[in-house]
Amino acid sequence: MPGLGTTVGRGGATTALTSLADSDAIMIMGSSMAEQHPVGFQWVMEARERGGKVIHVDPRFTRTSASADIWAPVRAGTDILFLGGLIHYAIEHDKWFKDYVLTYTNASTILREDYRDTEDLDGLFSGWDAEKKEYSPDTWLYEGSEKKRHPSQPAPGHHPADGGHGKDRGGEAGNTHQYTTDPTLQNPRCVFQVLKRHFSRYTPEMVEQGCGMPKHVFLEVAEAFTSASGPDKTAAICYAVGWTHHSTGVQIIRSAAILQLLLGNMGRPGGGILALRGHASIQGSTDIPTLYDILPGYLAMPFFEDDSTSLSKYIDKHSDKAGVWAHFDAYIISLLKSWYGDAATAENEWGFQWMPRVTGDHSELGYWLDMADGKMEGLFVMGQNPAVGAPNGRLQRSAMQNLKWMVVRDMVETETASFWLDSPEVKRGELVPETIATEVFLMPAAGQAEKNGSFTNTQRLVQWHNKAVDPPGDSRSETWFMYHLGRRIKEKAAREPGPKNIAINNLTWSYPTEGAIAEPVAEAILAEINGCHWDTKMHIKTYDELKPDGSTACGCWIYAGLMPAPDKNLPNTRESHDSLGHGWGFAWPKDTRILYNRASAKPDGTPWSERKKLIWWDPAAGEKGKWVGEDVSDFKPDMPPDYKGDPNKRGLEALSGDQPFTLHPDGRGWLFVTSGLKDGPLPTHFEPLESLVHNPVYPSEQTNPPAHKKERPDNPYAKSPDDPRFPYVLTTYRLTEHHTAGGMSRGLSHLAELQPELFTEISPELAAMCGVKHGEWVTIYSPRGLLSAKALVTGRMAPLKVNGKMVHQVGLPYHWGWKGITTGDVVNDLLAISESPNVRIMESKALVCNLIPGRRKQGPAALKELNKLLKERT
Amino acid sequence: MSEKMGNFEVQPGKKTAFFTDSTTCIGCKACEVACKEWNGLEADGYNFSGFSYDNTVGLGASTWRHVKFVEDTPIPGLGGNSPDHNSWEFSSDVCKHCEVAGCLEACPTGALVRTEFGGVFLQPDICNGCAYCVISCPFGVVQKNEEDGRAFKCTFCTDRQKVGLEPACAKACPTQSIQFGVLETMEEKAADRLAVLQDRGMADAQIYNPTHTSVKGIHALFLIRGEPETYNLPPNPEVPTIYLRDGWKSAARDGFLLLAGVAAAFMAARSGRKDGIHV
Amino acid sequence: MSETQMLIEQLVDQREEHLLEIRREAELTGQVKSPGVRPEGSPFPIASPQTGYYQQPLLKEPQWTQLIPFYFFVGGAAGSLGVIGSLADVLGDEKRLAEQARWLAFGGSVLSGALLVTDLGRSSRFLNMLRVFKPQSTMSMGSWILSGFSVFASISSAADAMDALWGANLLSHLLRGMGRFGSVIFGMPFHNYTGVLLATTAMPVWNARANSLPGHFGMSGLQSGVSILELMGHEDNRALNLLGVLSASMETWEKIDISKSNARALLPLKHGGSGVLVSTGAWLSGPVPLLFRIGSVFLPERSVALRRLAACAGIVGSLFTRYGWVQAGKSSARDWRLALEIEAPKEVAMPTTAKRSTGRVIAKAAGAICVLATAFFVLRRKF
Ligand SMILES: Nc1nc2c(c(=O)[nH]1)N[C@H]1C(S)=C(S)[C@@H](COP(=O)(O)OP(=O)(O)OC[C@H]3O[C@@H](n4cnc5c(=O)[nH]c(N)nc54)[C@H](O)[C@@H]3O)O[C@H]1N2
Ligand SMILES: Nc1nc2c(c(=O)[nH]1)N[C@H]1C(S)=C(S)[C@@H](COP(=O)(O)OP(=O)(O)OC[C@H]3O[C@@H](n4cnc5c(=O)[nH]c(N)nc54)[C@H](O)[C@@H]3O)O[C@H]1N2
Ligand code: SF4
Ligand code: SF4
Ligand code: SF4
Ligand code: SF4
Ligand code: SF4
Ligand SMILES: [Mo]
Repeated sequence: MPGLGTTVGRGGATTALTSLADSDAIMIMGSSMAEQHPVGFQWVMEARERGGKVIHVDPRFTRTSASADIWAPVRAGTDILFLGGLIHYAIEHDKWFKDYVLTYTNASTILREDYRDTEDLDGLFSGWDAEKKEYSPDTWLYEGSEKKRHPSQPAPGHHPADGGHGKDRGGEAGNTHQYTTDPTLQNPRCVFQVLKRHFSRYTPEMVEQGCGMPKHVFLEVAEAFTSASGPDKTAAICYAVGWTHHSTGVQIIRSAAILQLLLGNMGRPGGGILALRGHASIQGSTDIPTLYDILPGYLAMPFFEDDSTSLSKYIDKHSDKAGVWAHFDAYIISLLKSWYGDAATAENEWGFQWMPRVTGDHSELGYWLDMADGKMEGLFVMGQNPAVGAPNGRLQRSAMQNLKWMVVRDMVETETASFWLDSPEVKRGELVPETIATEVFLMPAAGQAEKNGSFTNTQRLVQWHNKAVDPPGDSRSETWFMYHLGRRIKEKAAREPGPKNIAINNLTWSYPTEGAIAEPVAEAILAEINGCHWDTKMHIKTYDELKPDGSTACGCWIYAGLMPAPDKNLPNTRESHDSLGHGWGFAWPKDTRILYNRASAKPDGTPWSERKKLIWWDPAAGEKGKWVGEDVSDFKPDMPPDYKGDPNKRGLEALSGDQPFTLHPDGRGWLFVTSGLKDGPLPTHFEPLESLVHNPVYPSEQTNPPAHKKERPDNPYAKSPDDPRFPYVLTTYRLTEHHTAGGMSRGLSHLAELQPELFTEISPELAAMCGVKHGEWVTIYSPRGLLSAKALVTGRMAPLKVNGKMVHQVGLPYHWGWKGITTGDVVNDLLAISESPNVRIMESKALVCNLIPGRRKQGPAALKELNKLLKERT
Repeated sequence: MSEKMGNFEVQPGKKTAFFTDSTTCIGCKACEVACKEWNGLEADGYNFSGFSYDNTVGLGASTWRHVKFVEDTPIPGLGGNSPDHNSWEFSSDVCKHCEVAGCLEACPTGALVRTEFGGVFLQPDICNGCAYCVISCPFGVVQKNEEDGRAFKCTFCTDRQKVGLEPACAKACPTQSIQFGVLETMEEKAADRLAVLQDRGMADAQIYNPTHTSVKGIHALFLIRGEPETYNLPPNPEVPTIYLRDGWKSAARDGFLLLAGVAAAFMAARSGRKDGIHV
Repeated sequence: MSETQMLIEQLVDQREEHLLEIRREAELTGQVKSPGVRPEGSPFPIASPQTGYYQQPLLKEPQWTQLIPFYFFVGGAAGSLGVIGSLADVLGDEKRLAEQARWLAFGGSVLSGALLVTDLGRSSRFLNMLRVFKPQSTMSMGSWILSGFSVFASISSAADAMDALWGANLLSHLLRGMGRFGSVIFGMPFHNYTGVLLATTAMPVWNARANSLPGHFGMSGLQSGVSILELMGHEDNRALNLLGVLSASMETWEKIDISKSNARALLPLKHGGSGVLVSTGAWLSGPVPLLFRIGSVFLPERSVALRRLAACAGIVGSLFTRYGWVQAGKSSARDWRLALEIEAPKEVAMPTTAKRSTGRVIAKAAGAICVLATAFFVLRRKF
C-alpha cells in the first residue's frame, strides 16, 4: 500500500476493473489475474478483443499467460530489475510523456545537495545507519523544504514500530511553495536526472542477465507497453501478491507507479494501476483496518512517543498544509467523536488520550514470534487459518501451545482450531496433546450469505450483501459477536468506573438490534461509518463537510457519503448507468471510479485526446465553470485549471489548478519519494532473502538492506546466495479451484475434485535431472521443513538462463492442509517468517529449495529425514 | 413475449444452442461447478490425473460440463492469445445436443426426448437404465449412474430455459466463452468470430460442427484451435442408426436361412429316414 | 576458480542448454534420442492430434452386467428352438423333439425376460419399454420381439400342456397353430436381433460388422439350440446334425472372414482378453463342431460321441462368442484412436494394460478348462 500511497497519494487501486476494457495494453505481473480474479478478468478479455495487448510477466506460464498476447518469463524476485528496465527503456527511447511528467509529477523538483543515490554508494542511499540497519531520510528531501519534526523523533513513516500502512508520510515534503524546480529537467539534481541516473544500469542486457528473460522478449514487452501510452493511448498495470510478497514488495509497486507516471497513464481511462486485492473485502479491511498501525481512513495510529503526547502534536505531525491532508484534524476529531460521542469534548482532546498507543511491532508475523517466545496470552482468530496460510507453519503451530486461550471463529473446524489434536507436529511427536494447556474455543461463524453487510472490493467499491438465509444452528455473524462481546465488556466496565475503564465506559456502543438473537442492524453501523452532524444527526454527504470542532462525527472519512441519507444505502444500489459503473455500489472517495482523474485532462483543462477523455474543464458549466465528464471529479470541482495555489491558504486552495495528486502537499505524483519509505526514495533491485544468484545490479548489497529476516533457530535460512544444499528457486501461488488456506474449498466436493491433491509444477528438464517421474511423489525441502507432493511435469515451467547459468524454479500451490475432503502437506512449512521493511509482509514468492524423488517419511521419521538431508547435502 | 435475462432472450419456437469459444476461455471451471450446483450432482472422485489441470477428465453421469486443458510447451514471448503458438488452450465440453442424436434414437422407453428448444432431454422419471443410449452416443456423453441405475447427461437446462433463464453454465462463465442463444444467431456468431480470428492470423482456429455426417449438426458449437482430435472431438461422428439397414438386412438373411435350413433339414431327414438313412 | 571447476561448470552449462533443446522432444514423444538424458516418467501425457486427449477414450464402455451376454446366448438358442419346435413335427415328423424344443423355447423366453429385466438399472420400469414402438431403436424392437416371442412360445407350450392334461382338442390345435406361426415369425428375429442390437451402436468393433454380426449371432444361436436338443437325447437326429453342420460352416466362414480383415476396429476380436474369448468361441462353434459333425457321419461307431462333443463345443463356443463380443465392445470403446480415426503406428496393437493382460490369462485358462471339462464329461458318458 505505501507503494502507491507514497507515489500518488492513496494506497488503493487507482482505477476500476471496467476501465481496463479501454486499455491499449495491460501488463499483468505478480498476479495470475485470470485465475485469481476470473470475474474481473473479463474486462481484460474485453480489452484484448478490442485490440489491446495483454502482457503477462510471470515465472510460470499460467492460465493468465494463456490469455495473453505476450508471456514474458521472469525469475521470481526480480521484478524491480524488470520494471527498472522498462523505466530505463522509456527514458532512453524517449517514450515518456513529457507534457504530463513536467506538470503532474515532481520530475523537475530539485533535491538536496547531500542526497546520495545507490549509484554513488554502491547499493545504499545516503542516510544509512549500518548499526541500526535503518535509513534516516533527512537527505532525501526537496531542496529548500524545511524539516518540521523534532530531531529526536523518527521521520514520518520511519518509526521502528510502524507497519507502514498509515498516512504517515509526506509532511516532510513541506510547504508547497518552499522548493525549487527546473522545468528544463537539465539540473543534475532534479528528480528526473536522478531517476535517469538511478536506472541507468537497468539495461535490456542486465534484465536478461538477472531476470532470465530473453532480451528480445523484454524488448517486445517494452515496445508494446510504452507505445500503448501517450495522449491518445493508455496502458494499465495489474498486480497482486506476486509483487507484494517480497522483501522489496513496496518498491516493486513503486517501480510500476513510476513507470505509469512517466508514461502519463495515471488518472486516465484505461490507465493506472489496479492493485488486485485478496479476500472479498481485503480492501475494506485496510480502509476500516484490521491492521495494528492505522485507524479508519489511513489515519496513523498514535505511537508511544513524544509526537503523540497531545492531540495537537499528533495532528501537527500528520497533517500537511496543502492538499487533502490539511484537514487531518477534521478527520481524526470526527472519528473520535464517532467513537466517544458526547463524552468527547474539546477539553478532553475529544478522547484522544483514551486511545491505545503502538509500542512495538504488533504486526501479524511479529506477534507470532512473540507467541513463540511465550509473550502472548490469548488470541482471537476470526476468518483466518494461520496453521496453513501463514509462513513457517511449524513455528506457528507450535507457538499456539504457548497461549492460554484461543478463540477461533470459523465456518469449519480449521487446522488452526485443531493444531493441538492432529497437526503434523502431533504426528511427529513434537507436540503432545495432553500437555498443551491452550484452551481452544471454536465458535461457529455465519457465512456472508447468512448476514447483511458490505464488501469493499479490489477497486475500492463498497458493495452491500443481503442476507439470503438464516445462519444454521448457533452460527453468528461477526457483527453479532463483536457487538455482544463489546456490550458485555461495557457492562462489566460500567460496574467498575475509574480511569482504567474510562475508554470503554465512554465508547458509544448502542446499535439497534433485530430478531430473536438480537442481531445488530448492519445499516446502523454503515450510518455510523458515513457520519453525521452531531447535533442534527443529518448524514454527511462528503468528507468536505467534516469539521475539526466536534460538530461532526464520522467513522471513516474516506467512506463519508456512502449513506448520504438514512434511506440511501449507496452500496446497496445495483443500477449501473455508465461504463464505469456509477449507480452500482459506492467507490471511495466520493464515488470516484478513477483516482487523480484531473490528470486525464491537459494542464489547460481540455482532454489529452478525444479518445481518452474522462473529465475536463467546462467554463460554461455552473457559475464559474466546472469539471465535468464521465467520472466524479477527484479534484476540487470548481477549481479552474489556471488557478494558482495560494501559499497562505490551507488544503486544496493551497494547490494549483493543474496539480492532480491532491493528497500530496505539492499536488504531484512522486517519481522520487522524500519520506515514508524505510528502504529508500527510489526502487532498487535486491535479491530475495534466499536466492541462488548474486545481485547483478549492486554486487555489494545482496538483499534489501533494511529488510527483517527474523532469523532464529526456529526460523532458519539458507546461506544466501548459492547455498549448495538448495539449488532451485521455490515459488508459491494459488489455483482458481481453491481458496487460500483451503477452509472454504477443500471441504466442498465440487471444488475439491477439481484439484484433489497437492502437486508441484516442475519442468521436464528438472524432472530429468532429479529423476522425478510425472504423476509420482516428490519430496521438497527447505531449511524450515519438508513435504511431499505429486509431480506435475510441465513445459509451462521454463528454466531460465540467469547469468549464464540455468535456474530452475519449483512451483507449489499452497492450499492444502490435513483437514477437508482432500488433504495434503502444508506448503507454508517450507517458508520463512520475514518482514518486508515497509509493510511487514513475508516473502512467499521467492525462496530456495531442493527436491528428491519419492514420498517423504511419515511421523517422527520426517524430521530426522529433513535433518539428514540438510546435513548430507552441504 | 420475449424476456431479457442477462444475454439470453427466450424466443418461443426458436431452437437454441451453445457457442463455446475456447479462445476466450480462461479455464476457471466455473461452468463445471455451476452445472453441478444447479443440478445437484455428485463429485466424480478425488483423483489426481496428471493431465494438466484437468482432474475430472471427461463427461459422464455426474459431470455434464467438463473443461479440457490442452498444453503445448510455451515459447517465451508468446502468450496463448498469440496467433503463432497455441500453448495452453481450455475448452469447455458438453453434450452436443445433436440434430440427429444417437442417444435419442436408441432409447427404447422414450425417456430421451427432443425439447421445444431443440435440445435432447433425458427424463429421469422414465429412464429404466437399459444403458443403450450410453453406447449409442458417438460423443461418449451420456452415462449410467451405477448406483442410481439411470442414465444422466446435460439437460440443456431445459428447466431454466423454460422460465427464461440461460443455462447455468453459460450464466456462470465470466468471459462469455460459453454463449447461449438462438441457434442461427450462434452459428452466425461462430462464423463471425472465426473470421475475426483468421483475420488476426490464427490459421489454426476452426469451428467444430459436424454437419457433414449423419449427425447433421449440433446445438453446441465449439471454436477450437488445432485439430478436433486433440479435444477428443471425433472428426466424423456418425449416428448409429446408419447401421440399421445393414444390421437388419443381415438379420433377415439369417432369419430366412434359419427358416429354410430348419425346413430343409427336417424334410431331408424325414425323407432320409424313409430311405433308411440314419445319421 | 580452478581449471577443473571451470570445466565442470562449462559442462553443466552445455548440459543444461542441451536440456532446453530436448524439452519439446521429451514432451512430445516421451523419448529423447540424444544419448545421456532421459526424462523419467516420459512420455508425459499430452493432448495432441496424435494422442487425442491424453489418450482418454472418447466413447463410453457398455455398462451392461454379465447377464446380458448370457441373455444373448439364451435368446439366440430360444429363438432357434422356437422355429425348430414349430416346424420339426410338421415338416419332419419329430413330435417329441418338437415338443421339447417348444418347451425349451418357452423356458428360454421366460429366462430371457428375467435376465433382461434384472440387468436394467431400474428393473421396475421394464414396462416403460412397451410404451413406445420405435423401429430405429433396436433395443425397442428387441423388447417387442422378445415380448412377441414370449407370447407365442407360451401359447405353443400352453397348447402342449392342454394336450398333456386333457388330450388333443380343437382349441389346443388352434392355439398350437397360432403359437407355431408366431414362434416362427418372432423366432427368426429373436434368435439374431441381438446382433443388430450391438451393430447399431457407436462401438466401432460392433458396427464395423453390422452386415454380418446378426447373421453370426443367429448361427451361433442355432448352433446352441441344436446342441442343447442333441444333448437332451437327440444326438442321433439327422436333421439336427444337418443344422449343426450348417451353422458350424457359417461360423467357420465368419471366422475366416474376420481373420482376413485387417481393419483396426476388429483388433479386439483378435487381441487381448476379448480376442481370446472370441477366437476360442469361433473355434468351438465353427471348425471344431464342423469337423466332429462331418466326422460323425463317416465314423458310425463313434458318431454319438463325436456328436456329443460337437454339441458341447457348440454350446461353449456360443457362450464364448457372446461374452467375447461384448468384451470386444468394451475394448473397442477403450481404444481412443478408433473414434478419433487416428492412425496407429504399426507396432502399436490394442491398448493393453496390466489389468487387461491378466484378463487375457484368465480368459485363456478358463477356455482351456472348459474345453477339457466338456471333453471329459462327454467321453466319460460314452465310455
Ligand atoms: N481462486 C482464488 N482466487 C483468489 C484467491 C484464492 O485463493 N483462490 N485468493 C485471493 C487472495 S487472498 C489474494 S491475495 C489474491 C492473490 O492473487 P494473485 O497474486 O494473482 O495470486 P498468486 O497465485 O498467489 O500469485 C500470482 C502469481 O505470481 C507469480 N509469481 C510468483 N513469484 C513471482 C515473482 O517473483 N514475480 C512475479 N512477477 N510473479 C511471481 C506466480 O507464479 C503466480 O502466477 O487472489 C485472491 N483470489
Ligand atoms: N505460501 C504462501 N502463503 C500465503 C500466500 C501465498 O501466496 N503463498 N498468500 C497469503 C495471503 S495473500 C493470504 S490473504 C493468506 C490467507 O490465509 P488465511 O486468511 O489464513 O486463509 P483463509 O483460508 O482465507 O481463511 C479464511 C477463513 O475464514 C473462514 N470464513 C469465511 N467467511 C467467514 C466469515 O464470514 N466469518 C468468519 N468468522 N470466518 C469466515 C473460512 O472458512 C476460512 O477458514 O494466505 C497467505 N499465505
Ligand atoms: S470468488 Fe467471488 S469475488 Fe472472486 S471472482 Fe468469484 S465471484 Fe468474484
Ligand atoms: S452428444 Fe450424445 S448424448 Fe448428447 S445428444 Fe448427441 S448423442 Fe445424445
Ligand atoms: S438408459 Fe434410459 S435414457 Fe438411456 S436408452 Fe435406456 S431408457 Fe433411454
Ligand atoms: S446446460 Fe445446464 S445441465 Fe447442461 S451443462 Fe449447462 S448447466 Fe449443465
Ligand atoms: S466458465 Fe467459461 S471461462 Fe470458465 S472454464 Fe467454463 S467456459 Fe471457460
Ligand atoms: Mo490475500
